[in-house]
Amino acid sequence: MKIAVSADGSNLNAKVANRFSTAEYLVIIDVDSGEFEAVPSPVTVRQQGAGVQVIVLAVSRGAKAIITGYCSPAVASQMKASGVEVLTGMTGTVRDAMEQYKKSSSMMKVPEAHHSPMAAMINKDVLIHAARNAARQFVTLLPILIGVVLLIGLFDVFVSEELLTSIFSGSVALDTLWGACFGSIFAGNPINSYVIGGELLKYGVSLFAVTAFIVTWVTVGLVQLPAEIAAFGKRFALLRNGLSFLLAIPIAIVTVLILNLLERWIS
Amino acid sequence: MSNNSRQRSGNKPIFNRMFLFPIVILVIYAVLFVISPGKAGLAIKSSGNVFLNMIIPLSLVFVIMLLINLFLKPAAVAKFLGKGSGVKGIVLSAAAGIISTGPIYAWYPLLKDLKEKGAGESSIAIFLYNRAVKPFLLPVMVTYFGWLYVVTLIILTILASVVVGFSVSIFPSSKKK
Repeated sequence: MKIAVSADGSNLNAKVANRFSTAEYLVIIDVDSGEFEAVPSPVTVRQQGAGVQVIVLAVSRGAKAIITGYCSPAVASQMKASGVEVLTGMTGTVRDAMEQYKKSSSMMKVPEAHHSPMAAMINKDVLIHAARNAARQFVTLLPILIGVVLLIGLFDVFVSEELLTSIFSGSVALDTLWGACFGSIFAGNPINSYVIGGELLKYGVSLFAVTAFIVTWVTVGLVQLPAEIAAFGKRFALLRNGLSFLLAIPIAIVTVLILNLLERWIS
Repeated sequence: MSNNSRQRSGNKPIFNRMFLFPIVILVIYAVLFVISPGKAGLAIKSSGNVFLNMIIPLSLVFVIMLLINLFLKPAAVAKFLGKGSGVKGIVLSAAAGIISTGPIYAWYPLLKDLKEKGAGESSIAIFLYNRAVKPFLLPVMVTYFGWLYVVTLIILTILASVVVGFSVSIFPSSKKK
């Protein structure tokens, strides 16, 4: 059976980390064999949803219990929902945590309902936490969105329709290609692509181009390409982005054609 | 304590990333107000109109975010991603991509780890592609483009993700170190 201990270091002598979501390492220990592996936390900066990233890591490594100093009730309830036991209030080294866990689980075969002071039994504040999380997600969306909307105002005043029609000439293939190119350069929350795309439509840019723009906004990321290469290798990243770019064009064309058919069928 | 302060200083890059763009735009506005107040006023007015049109869809976005947070445990991503094979694997990876939140760069380290632990490249490609489908943004998308368009595009996006996932897995892979 595997347990995960959030730690400040990468070995058994490291201290158990105070906070689950911001610990530098997650030490995954097989309590039966004593083998362990230290996984650097996927969270490089303190950010919204950091706890979730660590939970996903722990669960994906098959940990059945997580031992840490403290973790928020929301994170704890998520882990319990994922079938992971949460033990908080632990201090000392990772080895201490493991020994203590072993002792208590040898006393009780079922690794539940022991460590009574430590076991996190939280479920009641779920609504508040959900609201708080939603609010946080919503707020992080706003700054860029506000920037985009303000930019659209500038665009409205300074960019003439002539300029746009000189780029988007009305040729389906070419316009779609341009849309895909613009979407590939930019990246970020898709909401921004909807707002920009919606405004472009008002300027008479074709839905083909706007659809290609929306599709590549998320699926192709030139800005993120270096990070994607670093994470998954050159072949995967180039292949994935290249394919996604090429696919955006037929997707855009087929979407608009289907839409036209559906609209005709309904009316 | 020192640990905490170190972690707090980590807020900075995210902060910069989030606010840099709107700040640059505001600076442009400030300059414009000096040079040509009339045009700046027009730009503000036009932005205001865009905002007004977004109030209702944005409120709905918040409601859906709240519901997702209430009923969908984000750890489900771990249960879904890279699990199962065949059609089941595809569906689970796509679902993981759809329910995942947060910026994409935050997911790279975790996906890399999953890949090293045996999650297929096609699962990761399908996950990344399906991030284009965001249930909580539907109100905004529908406001601008209508239901029919949104449903059509979502279905095609999910199908395309499978194509990308399949293609990524059939191309010869470079040798691992």
